[in-house]
Amino acid sequence: MAKRVMVVDDSRIQEVQIRKMLEGSGYEVVCYCRSGEDALAQYDGVKPDVVTMDIIMPGMDGLETAQAILEEYSDAKIIMVSSLAYDDTFEEAKSIGAKAFLSKPFDAEQLVAALDHATLG
Amino acid sequence: MDKTIPEEKLREELDRIIREVTESSAGIALTRGAAAPGKHICTVHIGFRKGFHSSLSLRADAALFARLAQSILREEHITAQDLEDVAKEYFNVLCGHIAAALYNSTHISARFSVPSFHWGNYSPKDHREQFVIRYSSGQDEAAELVHHVPVPQAGHEAGRT
Repeated sequence: MAKRVMVVDDSRIQEVQIRKMLEGSGYEVVCYCRSGEDALAQYDGVKPDVVTMDIIMPGMDGLETAQAILEEYSDAKIIMVSSLAYDDTFEEAKSIGAKAFLSKPFDAEQLVAALDHATLG
Repeated sequence: MDKTIPEEKLREELDRIIREVTESSAGIALTRGAAAPGKHICTVHIGFRKGFHSSLSLRADAALFARLAQSILREEHITAQDLEDVAKEYFNVLCGHIAAALYNSTHISARFSVPSFHWGNYSPKDHREQFVIRYSSGQDEAAELVHHVPVPQAGHEAGRT
């Protein structure tokens, strides 16, 4: 059975790309949220195996959203996804308990490796 | 930004990053060009919200943004909404890499606004163009990356831009 992925990104392009990259990978996008607020509202009902979370979003940003989810669901597996790939952001993501950091742009191999790391590691 | 990094260094960094990100995102090789985009253009814009006070925009022939969308979505047929969404996401990625490069040079942690998309030209209010870098895609398409800095208010010294 495919592992269930929640994608949180204000850009639907990211969701389209991730969905295509995951075809036949053993992972499946089961929920797409366009905002942090939407992700918080849907997380409990979806209970995904893993979440990919964009950082820069209008309203709650990805770091705030990830922190809020992890405060309530400490076993949540969240991968931060961003082009803001520098130490300061890595440290912030790590400090709130994110399992991995994926730098945009990424390819299917890098995405699956990050999902494997988050769910198996 | 120009108070923190010399303009020439900033130009070099922006030039390197736009080429790398465009190639890796969409397989499109940009080279420095002389011609401005034509009549049918689009503009994407972001403003720094933390760390710096300047903003960046990319104006380009709509045909170039359409080709970016086709490549990134791996779809031959794209809609106007696809073009807009891809342009914003592409510029978001581009500016993230710029922020990362600036962090490596200055140790200033930057954040920026969600990109805005405009059919036609767009210039942010209260900013002026500090410099423009022109590109050609090799397929009769042109683009301009523009660095905007705040216009100093009368009686005030501009801060870090």
